[in-house]
Amino acid sequence: MKFTDCHPITNLVFYIGAIGFGMCLVHPACLVCSFLFALVYYSIVKGEVRKYLGRILMLFMVVSLINPFFNRYGETILFVYFNGRSYTLEALGYGLALAGMFCSIMTWFASYSVVMTKDKFLFCFGKLAPTVSLILTMVFRFIPDFQRKLQQVSGIRKSIGLSTSSGTNREKIKHGMNIISSVTSWALESSVVTADSMRSRGYGSGRRTSYSIYSFKKKDQFLLFIMLLLLLITLLCALNGGFTAEYTPSLYISDWDNAWTIIGVGSYFLFLAIPSVLHLIEEIIWHISRSKI
Amino acid sequence: MAHFEVKNLSFSYATSPEKVALKEVSVQIEQGAYITICGKSGSGKTTLLRHLKSVLTPYGERTGEVLFKGKKLADISERDQASEIGFVMQNPEHQIVTDKVWHELAFGLESLGYDQKEIRLRVAEMASFFGIQNWFHKDVSELSGGQKQLLNLASIMAMQPSVLILDEPTSQLDPIAAADFLNTVRKINRELRTTIIITEHRLEDILYASDQVIVMDQGRIVANDRPEKIGEYLKTENNDMFAAMPTPMQVYYGVPNKLKCPLTVREGAEWLELLLAGKNLRIREINDEKTLYDESQIKSPAVELKEVWFRYEKKAQDVLKGVSMKVPRNSIFAVVGGNGTGKSTMLKSIGGMCKPYRGKVKVEGRLSMLPQDPQDLFGHGTVEEELKEMLSGKDVAGEETLETVVGICEIKHLLKQHPYDLSGGEQQRVALAKVLLTEPEVLLLDEPTKGIDSFFKLRFAQILEKLKEKGVTIILVSHDIEFCAKYADMVSMFFDGGIVTTNTPNRFFSGNGFYTTAANRMSRHVFKNAIINEEVISLCQLNL
Repeated sequence: MKFTDCHPITNLVFYIGAIGFGMCLVHPACLVCSFLFALVYYSIVKGEVRKYLGRILMLFMVVSLINPFFNRYGETILFVYFNGRSYTLEALGYGLALAGMFCSIMTWFASYSVVMTKDKFLFCFGKLAPTVSLILTMVFRFIPDFQRKLQQVSGIRKSIGLSTSSGTNREKIKHGMNIISSVTSWALESSVVTADSMRSRGYGSGRRTSYSIYSFKKKDQFLLFIMLLLLLITLLCALNGGFTAEYTPSLYISDWDNAWTIIGVGSYFLFLAIPSVLHLIEEIIWHISRSKI
Repeated sequence: MAHFEVKNLSFSYATSPEKVALKEVSVQIEQGAYITICGKSGSGKTTLLRHLKSVLTPYGERTGEVLFKGKKLADISERDQASEIGFVMQNPEHQIVTDKVWHELAFGLESLGYDQKEIRLRVAEMASFFGIQNWFHKDVSELSGGQKQLLNLASIMAMQPSVLILDEPTSQLDPIAAADFLNTVRKINRELRTTIIITEHRLEDILYASDQVIVMDQGRIVANDRPEKIGEYLKTENNDMFAAMPTPMQVYYGVPNKLKCPLTVREGAEWLELLLAGKNLRIREINDEKTLYDESQIKSPAVELKEVWFRYEKKAQDVLKGVSMKVPRNSIFAVVGGNGTGKSTMLKSIGGMCKPYRGKVKVEGRLSMLPQDPQDLFGHGTVEEELKEMLSGKDVAGEETLETVVGICEIKHLLKQHPYDLSGGEQQRVALAKVLLTEPEVLLLDEPTKGIDSFFKLRFAQILEKLKEKGVTIILVSHDIEFCAKYADMVSMFFDGGIVTTNTPNRFFSGNGFYTTAANRMSRHVFKNAIINEEVISLCQLNL
């Protein structure tokens, strides 16, 4: 089962973990893990990475190199510019960490938007507030419809000489207002029919349930358990100082001789690898079963 | 015990108490029956249907009662009514509530509070019954009109109603999607014994399946009989609704005979054979008086397309693939063809809304286009303001033009009304008037007869002929074969991004085997070239 086919709750827990920890853990090893797997999974779901990599590395460079110009704390001075302003190693390190965090979070969000479709998002929040999720569903349908209608009406009016792009300013405004008025009438008319259709199908006649096409499978249970376990271990290590990393004024990064660091980075690594590994396993299984055909 | 019983129901809307919307309506409907209700726009069909479900019942003054399975409808709970009585409305788009097909199917069941397991089963059942499984995960916005209406039907059937009420369900669909939808309704009736109560403009596809036909006029039931008998009443009363009856029936009553009344093309063809059996047929052909369409003979066409190519996006497929055509001045030029062949796009390219990337579009004179949905042109409180908008900035001469246009479109009595309060046919005439105020020499019409009843169609055709007399060239794109056969001068077949053939209606339709009028299909084994009802009738009379 690919990660995209997992239950929305499983998806959501992963992204909360990845993005939440991604914003808190500034240890270089964690940042490297996060950025690496974010990129790997991005390339899996989008099927393309080269173009994105170019842009994101550019952003990474700019953020990390520019930081020391604004942040002058630090002991090790690399060079001095403009009468006495110093460019320090510690500030550069801090810039690198900041840029790494920023870029990896962005990349996680990019794959999030593919994995967590509107449906899955609504499912996760529909449990909490069924009415709100129904309203959101209707809004999701209404907005593109409204835009389409707006274009259609202005196009048609233009074809009979009622264009917003010619004439005096007053005429333009008048035509614009008429378009809005026309589309509003349409929206009102449609909402009356929709309301009838909803009531006719029993809306408001009693307690409402919320149906979903997702089912929580054994595999989801297992994944969720593993994910929570790994997150817990990572959290424990973080609380015990396994991820201590200070950049300014002096550089201090917890070393590999600290057991908490090793375990923490290890579990964080495993956690972030889950979506990509699932995909890989799926590909391999598919390859094997196809070769049997 | 009758399934539905309406007893002496009278009703007038709260907004216009002086006008009677329903008057002493009494009707009995048995379980499993297929009932067709017909009548002109505004005859009270919709008002009657809406009285059969409490949440949809309009506000107003009411006497009489409605019984459902022997109980007063008002005493039956909203929840029971929601599941027992299904109601499909006219507009496919607006009825849909959610954004996903699967969610829409489940919507009613969610409202009724079913649990996940039950909903899953019912949704799966319905998706299979309606053949929806292939688009089950799609966004609603990706569906065609016909699919949307099928989805509406399926989402109602998921609640397993014992009666299905349909208020002009196919008026917004093209004929193929409409036939598909009505076949499904027929299947539901036959296989599930669901009672069907339906109103329709296009009776060809439903009359033969009906057990009972109810004709309404000015809020009363004027006839209620088996479909074969109903024509007789309409003919003797000279009712306007006769024009909406299936072609074979209209032809039958045009010829004096004592045979059984045919309802379908097949029955019509058999009836003709019986009628003419043993007779010596002297005249078997209609003379086509219109001159043959010859492109090279057209010297100064009103519109000319030369090898026009168009696509909507750079990477999309070509929609127009080298369209060439010439439209002679002062004619009604019809383009027919299936859905998605690019007809409307071609019209837009003439209208300048789509710029071809190759080829030339030449238009002589001012051009205007009437959109498919007349409401797209409305944005004011009254019809008069609507029309005055077009005059702003013009001098007194404008007022005169306004008056002539109002006269041509026959909308003088509607000037003070709100455009949204008018019926489909009236809205169309107002939209046409608005377009005519640009004084076009070439008029483009996109599906002008969609959702309009036969009575208004006739009036619309008369207006088009008046315009033609005034020298306007009319190009129309339509699915309505009967309309094109009757009123067009030239008919073109559009297929796969190009025009396949162009000819006069008689030559065009009599040459086609499938894509032709019902009159031609029922008569072509005896007569040549007859494509409209009147032609078949006159040939029959000449030979009797």
